[in-house]
Amino acid sequence: KEQYYSEQHSSLINKAYETLLNPLSRGLYLLELHGVKPAQETDCDGDSVFLTEIMEINEKLAEPKNEDILEEIETLIKVKQEELTKEVTAAFERDDLQEAKKLLAKMKYFANLEDKLKNKKIPS
Amino acid sequence: VAVGDAVPWQVVDHYENPRNVGSLDRKAKNVGTGLVGAPACGDVMKLQVEVDENGKIVDARFKTFGCGSAIASSSLATEWVKGKTVDEALKIKNTDIAKELCLPPVKLHCSMLAEDAIKAALADYKLKQDPNKEESEKKA
Repeated sequence: KEQYYSEQHSSLINKAYETLLNPLSRGLYLLELHGVKPAQETDCDGDSVFLTEIMEINEKLAEPKNEDILEEIETLIKVKQEELTKEVTAAFERDDLQEAKKLLAKMKYFANLEDKLKNKKIPS
Repeated sequence: VAVGDAVPWQVVDHYENPRNVGSLDRKAKNVGTGLVGAPACGDVMKLQVEVDENGKIVDARFKTFGCGSAIASSSLATEWVKGKTVDEALKIKNTDIAKELCLPPVKLHCSMLAEDAIKAALADYKLKQDPNKEESEKKA
């Protein structure tokens, strides 16, 4: 019984650690703690300028593997993620939860790009 | 993998043989561009329509970066808008798309995104036809 209890706690701690380690999941969790619902599945984004940027990066990523371009994209994504993390932090600090929510949505698009980039780098 | 997890063949079909992938000239007056995103899952979808002088959609293209269901939904959307008038295309509902593709409940939002993309593209087209009218309507 104690082993079961320990296992439960162990996996909960792992989940907590992973959630808090990643800025996006950490931010979303903070939103939840503040009682703000994260972006719903049925929400739709219409921010043309931002989405165009995301589209362009996706299109570049979809092209045949090119080491230099991949490095360029990787740097771009990292920079954007760092920027957004700073902005989210600032938003939370001044209690602007709606802004934090918007910024976290943007981070989600970059998180997806990061995953796609990682898959692209795996030798085929 | 449980049977319930099987990807509908319709989705696989559109994923492996997507119709109308590509782009139309954004700057052309008779092209409407809809660019939408789903913030919860980070999918982005671009749908474009080319409309002739009679208000009929003669060509459509899409580019979607996201899950198979999102790709299939937008692929189907481009198939469906072709040949329709702008007003007819506005009537396309996400529920029709979901039904045609047999989307499971967890993927219904993908069909909604496709419906949003169609509407955004048509709204963009309409705006291009009469920007002055839109301005004066706003002032009224």
